[in-house]
Amino acid sequence: MFKEAIKPFQYKRRSIQEIDQLNERGRGKKKAQDFSGTLKKIWFYLSMHKLKLSLVILMVVISSSMALLGPFLVGMGIDDYIVNQDTDGLIRLLWILAIIYAVHSLAAWFQAMWMVRIAQDTVFTMRTGLFNHLHKLPIPFFDKRQHGELMSRVTNDMENVSSTLNSSVIQIVSSILTLVGTVSVMLYLSPLLTLITVLVIPAMYFGLKWITKRTGRLFKEQQRNLGELNGYIQETLSGQRIIKTFSQEKKVIAQFKERNEQLRLAGFWAQTFSGFIPKLMNFLNNLSFAVIALIGGMLVLNGEGVVTIGVMVIFVEYSRQFTRPLNDLANQFNTLLSAVAGAERVFDIMNEKEERRDEDEAIEVNSLNGQVEFSHVSFAYEKDEDTLTDISFKAEPGETVAFVGPTGAGKTTIINLLSRFYDVNDGAVKMDGKDIKTIKRSSLRSHMAFVLQDSFLFEGTIRENIRYGRLTATDEEVEKAAELANAASFIRKMPKQFDTLLQVDGQGISQGQRQLLSIARAILADPSILVLDEATSSIDTITEIKIQEALQRLMKGRTSFVIAHRLNTIQSADQILVLQHGRIIERGDHQSLIKKKGFYADLHNSQLREKMIL
Amino acid sequence: MKRIFPFLTPYKIAIFIALSLMLMELAVELVQPLIIAKIIDDGILQQDLSVVFRWGGVLIGCSIAAFAAGVTNSFYSSHVSQSFGFDIRKTLYDKVQAFSFTNFGRFPASSLITRLTNDVTMLQNTVFMSLRIMMRAPLLVIGSVILAFVVNARLALVLVISVPVIIFFLLFIMKKAGKLFKMVQERVDQVNKVMQENLVGIRLIKAFLRAGYEMKRFRKSSQELMEKTVKALRLVEVTMPIILLLMNASILVVLWYGSIEVTADRASVGDVVAVVNYATRMTGALSIVTMIIMVFSRAKASGNRIAEVLETPVDLVDREASDNYAIKQGSITFDDVTFSYPESDEQVIRNLSFSIKAGQRAAILGATGSGKSTLFQLIPRLYDVDKGEIRIDHQELTSFKLENLRQQIGFVPQEAMLFTGSVKENIAWGDDKASFEEIKEAAMRAQIHDTIMDLPKQYDTQLGQKGVNLSGGQKQRLSIARALVRKPKILLMDDSTSALDMKTEAKLLEQLADLSCTTVMITQKISTTMASDHILLLDEGELLAEGSHQDLLTSSTLYLKIVESQIGKEALNLVQRSN
Repeated sequence: MFKEAIKPFQYKRRSIQEIDQLNERGRGKKKAQDFSGTLKKIWFYLSMHKLKLSLVILMVVISSSMALLGPFLVGMGIDDYIVNQDTDGLIRLLWILAIIYAVHSLAAWFQAMWMVRIAQDTVFTMRTGLFNHLHKLPIPFFDKRQHGELMSRVTNDMENVSSTLNSSVIQIVSSILTLVGTVSVMLYLSPLLTLITVLVIPAMYFGLKWITKRTGRLFKEQQRNLGELNGYIQETLSGQRIIKTFSQEKKVIAQFKERNEQLRLAGFWAQTFSGFIPKLMNFLNNLSFAVIALIGGMLVLNGEGVVTIGVMVIFVEYSRQFTRPLNDLANQFNTLLSAVAGAERVFDIMNEKEERRDEDEAIEVNSLNGQVEFSHVSFAYEKDEDTLTDISFKAEPGETVAFVGPTGAGKTTIINLLSRFYDVNDGAVKMDGKDIKTIKRSSLRSHMAFVLQDSFLFEGTIRENIRYGRLTATDEEVEKAAELANAASFIRKMPKQFDTLLQVDGQGISQGQRQLLSIARAILADPSILVLDEATSSIDTITEIKIQEALQRLMKGRTSFVIAHRLNTIQSADQILVLQHGRIIERGDHQSLIKKKGFYADLHNSQLREKMIL
Repeated sequence: MKRIFPFLTPYKIAIFIALSLMLMELAVELVQPLIIAKIIDDGILQQDLSVVFRWGGVLIGCSIAAFAAGVTNSFYSSHVSQSFGFDIRKTLYDKVQAFSFTNFGRFPASSLITRLTNDVTMLQNTVFMSLRIMMRAPLLVIGSVILAFVVNARLALVLVISVPVIIFFLLFIMKKAGKLFKMVQERVDQVNKVMQENLVGIRLIKAFLRAGYEMKRFRKSSQELMEKTVKALRLVEVTMPIILLLMNASILVVLWYGSIEVTADRASVGDVVAVVNYATRMTGALSIVTMIIMVFSRAKASGNRIAEVLETPVDLVDREASDNYAIKQGSITFDDVTFSYPESDEQVIRNLSFSIKAGQRAAILGATGSGKSTLFQLIPRLYDVDKGEIRIDHQELTSFKLENLRQQIGFVPQEAMLFTGSVKENIAWGDDKASFEEIKEAAMRAQIHDTIMDLPKQYDTQLGQKGVNLSGGQKQRLSIARALVRKPKILLMDDSTSALDMKTEAKLLEQLADLSCTTVMITQKISTTMASDHILLLDEGELLAEGSHQDLLTSSTLYLKIVESQIGKEALNLVQRSN
């Protein structure tokens, strides 16, 4: 029992510097805390609703003044009518009161209705803004991030912003209004005593500063930990099949616990410190009251007429009212901090440099003949390694270029450069003689179609998944593409044919079938440049023959780049480039490479030998 | 909610302390007006500074006590709420890890993620608030009603009538809001899902220039989230103005009735003033109730979503009498097995019988969609079969403890999934206790050691979520190393050499031959089947033929056809020429 009672005081504390360090990790060199900057950005989004916002403020003014007017009239009514037993007057007053109350409720209702809309609109704009920005980011960004961590920003961090915006704006405005009103009355009553009351503000300032210096960081740490936890959950859920078959549940549970523990630690301190704020305000409030009573009392007793007893009594009441809105403001400030912590993580992503914007002179190309040239291209994913070195080749329109080489030789990288997922470090990639940097990315990619290593399917019907290749395609075109890709036969066997729903994890559809679908998708796209990345490697031989036919038909008149492992599928290629360690070590067509008796010939013969064993 | 409350019981003491501290604060708060009145009435009005000093001191003393209580309460409340959240997340995660794939079919990953983070946060915040402020409002309402009664029972009756109306109204709103917030959370799931899909498929989206389309899709789901949120919040926000109206109306009634009572001399003016004052105070407290309603109905929705996961029965568990044996030889027998995926009528595997002897290398060949991958999932018992039996070492699969069974199986999936961490960690993932030597040995066998040594930090190189800086073939070999490091008795390879070139594959197969384990490989390559002891030819979930390469060449026309198609004319010519 005792143990449980002292637990809250046994959480490990981190110094501010430590937290800053943790928060900075993976953030680059940017400033750790930019409270006002982030707030300004949130305001930027809010200010898109200026008209509605001013209406809300108007309603807050109305409801606040009604809230003051009501009790005042009630007091008057009691004095004038009930004490004097003036029933007619009372009934008249009651009617007036009824109207005031109704207006009060209506104004309160309107302000809430509008504010909810403004807040959610803002959240919506920020959320879609974040999402849209993500799509402008270059591929390397995604290669380095955990999916779940990014997802957390769209949901958990935005949630923080959302819940704050809903209540804070109204609260802040009404608090400020009350504050201004009270201070005016106090100044009118006694400037001297007002000064004494206001003395409490520096104490509040320093107190708040001490607390928020911690909470601001802690909230951020909490959100970061939540993001990391989210990332871990996402990763282990998508790797579930492996975790299960390797029966590693205990291990991931233990690792989850570590992250969970981190989140609890950050959350504990964030919440504890933020809990101090109202307590501190309350305390200072009482302290200032005692001081005013004391000094006021002394002033009254001194009898120099500076302060009368009457003034003193009213003043004491008002000074209590003075701290209440301050208290509210302090609390709002606290929620604001948690919103800023969330928003900052959202803006962090928005500040990420976009996929290098198309160069200014970049143009649209309406059609591409499909001539592709790599001239002295070098590239590395990481600084100290060479993925590709001095790659040069040229493909005339309609030609097929095949890449051969051991795994990791750089075949996929060439494709990444061709589509500008990555930019070359040295040299140039040219299409129809133009450096592809001078062509808009969207324009460039619209002339290309891909069948990538991971044949990714979206949740949706088979029809929708094929139509992804060209959104404007009609049902007939979709079905025709499926036919050409030899996917139609298996689709027709499915319960709902083209309208069969696919799951993200691809349950109920085999890997081979997935590839057929992604081939159909490429066929539908009707590109002038075609990229096949290990597309045919896991389709069974029978289907593969049909696919080969379809691909031959498709590749006709298009420049095609093929990465395949079975050499007989690329024997008809116009050029075969043999890569090793990121360099082209042999090139030529099948016949000439065989004659050369080099790497390709070796590979070919070893395959043949296997076949000859038969 | 019944599922959620028990999570608070371990913190009974802390909750008790937190609540006591809160009551202490509340008591100080209630005494304060009395002290202040004393200072004004006996001190300032009487011009007696000593009274001001004395009671001023008492006031400061009380405030310090309240401050201390408040700060301490902060510690206890956050401890309770954070630990409560921690426990729920842990329990949920444990549960999810125990899920079978049938269970996963019910909850998409994106939804589970929302439940584990977003929903838990909602509950956690509710607990924190409850321990700090929530009880205050109801207490203030009750206190005010009681005090009003003490002052003047007849006038107080008006308040007593309005209170049940308000409570009824609040309950009604809470019930409705709960439903709306459930929809809100479902929309969060949806947003999460689109986001996840986009992250996974980002290459494809960029390649096909579908960013605009995806943005529209995301816009739609986030718009739906916005609409549902607005709807729910608006419903909740309606309570405050209405409560205000009701309470103000009762003030009007008190005034009117009060004037009658005063005329009839049954009440004093002071009574009316006091009752009106209490009514005003109640209004203030009730407006906090709006917030409470919102928080609680949200928490209720989130709580239900969490309970839903916790209550899902795990349908794939150890049999009670599961014996404690491990796989020793590694023979596999399928005996008349029929299987269909849950919630699907289509039989993916039909009356399948075969056996693979311990230590053999078997290849499974079959067209796309013939049930090969499904068959693989049945061996480590990711799903239970509908009919028939699977036996390993002549023991029925269900008589193994799941953990024992899977401990001895090495699995290499078709799509190599790597985890965030270093190369070493990714290989050691297969066996925590593996020494570095063993890791290296596995990497060598999997033909990935040389590649690793070429990496900037070798075995300590960090891999991204999907290990993207590695090529497909490198990823495959890494996931083969991960399976080999466990030294499994049964090795399942699901077309795991598809991205490897012939040379690497040949070397890999050679290495595998040294291992004393049963190897089952799904493959499309004749080169692989040729190097196998036993070949199973599947078609649409049924066994078409089985036997060695030579057997099948004579017994199966389909196999012959496949062989011919892969060898091609050229090879046949060569064969003829060399003859």
